[in-house]
Amino acid sequence: MTRRAVLAGSVGIAAGCATAAPFLLPRYDEVRKPARSRVAVLIAESYTPELERELWKALQLFNLDIHGKSVLLKPNLVDYIPGNYINTHPLLVAAAAECFRRLGCASVTVAEGPGHQRDTQLVLAESGFETELKKQGLPFTDLNRDELVETQLRSTYTGLNHLWLPRTVLSADFVVSMPKMKAHHWAGVTLSMKNMFGVVPGTKYGWPKNLLHWRGIQQSIVDICATVPIHFVIADGIMAMEGDGPLNGTPRRLGRVVLADDPVAADATCARLMGLTPERVPHIREAAKFLGNSSAAAIEQLGEPVTVPAAPFDVVPEFQYLRIAGS
Amino acid sequence: MNRESTLLRFLEQRLVTCQLPSGGWGFGRHSSQPALEPTCLSLLALRARPDSVPERGLRFLLHAQNPNGSWPAFGGDDRDGCWATALAVTALVNCAQVTPPIDRGLGWLLKSRGRESHWLWKWKFRTADTRVRFNPDKFGWPWIPGTCSWVVPTAFSLLALKHNSVCCPTREVSFRIECGVEMLLDRACPDGGWNAGNGVVYGVPLAPHLDATAAALLALRGEQPNEIIATSLDWLEQRTGTCSAPWSLAWSILALDAHGRSTEAPIATLAAISGTDAIDDCATIAVVLLALGCSIEGNVFRVTS
Repeated sequence: MTRRAVLAGSVGIAAGCATAAPFLLPRYDEVRKPARSRVAVLIAESYTPELERELWKALQLFNLDIHGKSVLLKPNLVDYIPGNYINTHPLLVAAAAECFRRLGCASVTVAEGPGHQRDTQLVLAESGFETELKKQGLPFTDLNRDELVETQLRSTYTGLNHLWLPRTVLSADFVVSMPKMKAHHWAGVTLSMKNMFGVVPGTKYGWPKNLLHWRGIQQSIVDICATVPIHFVIADGIMAMEGDGPLNGTPRRLGRVVLADDPVAADATCARLMGLTPERVPHIREAAKFLGNSSAAAIEQLGEPVTVPAAPFDVVPEFQYLRIAGS
Repeated sequence: MNRESTLLRFLEQRLVTCQLPSGGWGFGRHSSQPALEPTCLSLLALRARPDSVPERGLRFLLHAQNPNGSWPAFGGDDRDGCWATALAVTALVNCAQVTPPIDRGLGWLLKSRGRESHWLWKWKFRTADTRVRFNPDKFGWPWIPGTCSWVVPTAFSLLALKHNSVCCPTREVSFRIECGVEMLLDRACPDGGWNAGNGVVYGVPLAPHLDATAAALLALRGEQPNEIIATSLDWLEQRTGTCSAPWSLAWSILALDAHGRSTEAPIATLAAISGTDAIDDCATIAVVLLALGCSIEGNVFRVTS
């Protein structure tokens, strides 16, 4: 071998390494996933005031220490279309608020930045949230119009360096993501992690938060969840949505509420309950590398068993590969 | 003093007390971070005041302009500019004819366009990505640079351009106005009105939104009458009858008024819900003031052709 060939080979290898490095290096700052995660599946057939009692029992299983903490409940409140089960049900949010108060938290705030509607007040009024919030004396913050803080992202999937995020979310001690379990035509599913799109302020990024679409929905979900910690999940799957979600899908009665201390474990469990393979959902797969557990083996099941439905949830053609074969 | 003017003075006073030391307004009544949307709307709502309130607001607005001619979304924001530039230009045109900042703002607006206007993305939306129904040849303005055109920023930008070029628009301005108008008409919902962007996604017609529809109709005032505008006005008129949210009601009143439709009923509803402390958002208080006062002080969003 000549010296020239060795030199050329070395240059080639160096160039190859430089090109491949961004794809091979981890895109997150540190692995933060717990050794084991806890998930409880609660059977609940309808939205009734009894939900609070059932939720309270389920929450007891987690031994949460939120005494003196400020709790932020982040429901999925996107838009209002009569007859469509788009939003987390207000009764579930009210029940969660009451339970956290009983656990001794300092305050509970409900906060959301609707992704489609600029008029948050209209969505609150027409979805029934306004009445329930008043009844419970719960403050609400419109995250689309909150004060914003420049926040460095803790993973680099979107290539963005920072996002401007609402002060109310960043200053909360305990963030509870309360998604509606839905199929989603761009993301495959919208669960506790996708629900965090709602913290990205419309006044800066628009309605919908189009920058995140251009940067990749799956990538954006991971970057947001790597940066804004989700401390707990209460997912509304009593009436879920399949097909062309998040707005125009078909209601599907699942009769489940999923609670978890790890958003990745929550979403993996929700996906299984929907008859979908969590490891095939890109944002769940990536988040499972450093944020939480998606493997059933690493998830301690506290409530009802996870049963895969006889017919998996319908999804748009692009996401047919998510459906668990033979279920 | 009649009940109407008492209410206007009450709302005006609430807005005045929310002005920040910097001269701007934040969204929340207790917010210390000035934001462009509430500042521009408040300036427009308080433009006739003889005291220093509008002047301080103007000073803030002029100081907040980015070196590239655009405006940020809020104080301290990145300096690349955003949709609020259109509102800032409209506020300056209506409140103070300060030509250089307006020209620089308009210059930025003329350069800003939806990403689908690029040939590569046009090709993609025509061939590979057809789930969202729209014609990428018809483009408008994005919320922030590097993203697609959407209804509200396009409507506000059209208003800014139309406000500033009533008599003799340049060829470039005429082209952008024509293209923006076509974009709005292309993206209307099948049964009238406008959603945030497209009217049909995955073959499903989307439901219109009140404020987006109102903004689009304000921007389309003076255009050739057509069925889309007529059905959208009908939808807006009918939908306001069941709406109790001040933001949407106020924008609807401004649009209906600009198109010569009756506003008596929605004004009565809006007046009934605005006389308390219930509205906690400065942008909403300002647009409510503009709507309730449009019959007295004129409709600032009504572009004369």
